[in-house]
Amino acid sequence: MKVIRRVLLALSVASAVAGVLRFKGKGVGAIKQGGWRKITDKK
Amino acid sequence: MIGIYGAGIVGARVTETLLNNSFAEVCVHDSSSTVAIRLAKRLSKENQVVNVVDRNKLNSAKVVVIAIPPPHAEIARELIEQKVSVVSTSDDISDCTNLLALSELAKRNSVVLIVGSASSPGMSALLARSMSKVFDVVDEVHTALHGTGGPACARQHHRALSGQSLGWHDGEWLHRPGGSGRELCWFPEPVGAYDCYRGELPDPLLIKRAFPELTRATARVSATRRDRVFAKLPQLIPPQAEGGMGGLRVEVRGNKNGQRVVDVVGVVERVGQVAGVVSACTAALINSSEIIQPGAFVLGEMALPNDRILGNVVASGIQLHAFVRA
Repeated sequence: MKVIRRVLLALSVASAVAGVLRFKGKGVGAIKQGGWRKITDKK
Repeated sequence: MIGIYGAGIVGARVTETLLNNSFAEVCVHDSSSTVAIRLAKRLSKENQVVNVVDRNKLNSAKVVVIAIPPPHAEIARELIEQKVSVVSTSDDISDCTNLLALSELAKRNSVVLIVGSASSPGMSALLARSMSKVFDVVDEVHTALHGTGGPACARQHHRALSGQSLGWHDGEWLHRPGGSGRELCWFPEPVGAYDCYRGELPDPLLIKRAFPELTRATARVSATRRDRVFAKLPQLIPPQAEGGMGGLRVEVRGNKNGQRVVDVVGVVERVGQVAGVVSACTAALINSSEIIQPGAFVLGEMALPNDRILGNVVASGIQLHAFVRA
């Protein structure tokens, strides 16, 4: 029982750390909306 | 005379671009004479000749485009010693470093050596230089590439994901494992969005040389889960003869009128086509003595006529797209 509790605790801590890193890893100021406009024409 | 060392995907595109730009004679050499002869037969016309030549005949050219798999440094050294200018399409970090080390030799022989004249590196730096004009200060350049050219380019992509990436970050070179640092990058349509990762790519090294003022420079390549999982193993599936539609995305960050500005420009085209057109346009300007300053240079450097090269690249059919916010 003790082992299972430890495993669950380890998994939840790992999930929390991964979640924090995942959110923190998002690019600051990354452009999220918009589209592409052609600025040159084909010859 | 312009010589082309290599008759693969990039070499063929270089030849095509030069012929489209009204060059009457182009000399091609390849380790496989069959490949070179096939290219010459396909592209030769009544008043435009593609000559298949041996290695020594390239020494009589004014400029040679090296379009074979890296390393290029030793071939470049031999050509420079024969007073031949060189345009290298190498996309290997150590090879690019070795090529840049030939700068003194190039100066002594009064020839030009252009390092990393391909898609990324190459086109990426031309775009960054062009975009930098609307900024007061540029401090970050981030590039992302999707797709590969010929089989050698695909093998290099595979190696890049298993190597050590190089990134310029606040005054120091950071080494990170290839395949890390996932970022969803949007390329112009029809390519769209792809997850891109760090890789052993020469772009940051060469862009930093072109823009010494940068505080950050990174480069990423698109990769699938399979690419990343099998990156450490030998390439199990043989690469295709040529990759499909590719994309290049250059993001420049800096200040303008006291405000933070981010500009993004992209290209959608086959990677080999972009590499071929960029190196052909660069070689053509060396051939016409519009680039005469001896030494080793990277595209985007102030010493080069970057606007002229980019103008010729666009005139050769490579379309540029700007990202506009909604």
